[in-house]
Amino acid sequence: MEAQKVDMFIMSNGKYFESHHVNAIRNSLIAADDSKWPMLSVTQFNDPSTILIVSIFAGQLGIDRFMIGDTGLGVGKLLTCGGLGIWAIIDWFMIQSATREKNMEKIQRILG
Amino acid sequence: MALTSNKLYVLIATACCVGYAWLFFNISENFTDSNNFTVCLFKEVTHVPCPSCGTTRGVISLSKGHFLEAIYTNPFSVIIAAIMIIAPIWIVLDVVRKKRTLFQFYQKAEKLLIKPKIAIPLIVLVLLNWIWNIAKGL
Repeated sequence: MEAQKVDMFIMSNGKYFESHHVNAIRNSLIAADDSKWPMLSVTQFNDPSTILIVSIFAGQLGIDRFMIGDTGLGVGKLLTCGGLGIWAIIDWFMIQSATREKNMEKIQRILG
Repeated sequence: MALTSNKLYVLIATACCVGYAWLFFNISENFTDSNNFTVCLFKEVTHVPCPSCGTTRGVISLSKGHFLEAIYTNPFSVIIAAIMIIAPIWIVLDVVRKKRTLFQFYQKAEKLLIKPKIAIPLIVLVLLNWIWNIAKGL
């Protein structure tokens, strides 16, 4: 793909990924075929800040985990009352990087 | 945090250990005292029970053989009790046989649960259970 296009993508979507992943994403995007672009440009990534807000207010019910696609962990959180309340608090600090990891998995699935 | 099979096994094993510890802590506590003690953030903040409030009481009455009482306290307790009994056995079997059947089952279940046809009725059930919990005033 053209470097300009890739940089535009990185600029508008960089916040959805871990900072140490951004460079690798840029390289693999440049190496990727142009046919991936339409798919890539319509893909929605989860905003870590939004998920953090959901986690603070509804983390007890596991809704944050459901939203990023960790259905199994979401069910676990829901059934155990947010892991006796402890897991819910731990997730306030974990959920942002978990969201970014999930976004990384998503983009890898498109590019792979 | 991509969930690898090892992480999943450690997570479930830890959860089961914490669950059993919590259960024994609650059984050994005086019952009248334990009713006032809650770790549920939701209930502490809003004074409204959350969908899974009463699960501990349900599992305790299940361990005493009162099945209907457990269902009445919170139907979740039956699911939790089943998981707490099955999961450790499954993990040990998987470790001994060096297979990953639990992990494969988890991935399949996750894929199944995300389908709207299955997810929506389950969400409705959870909401109904929540309404029932509030009505019971757990």
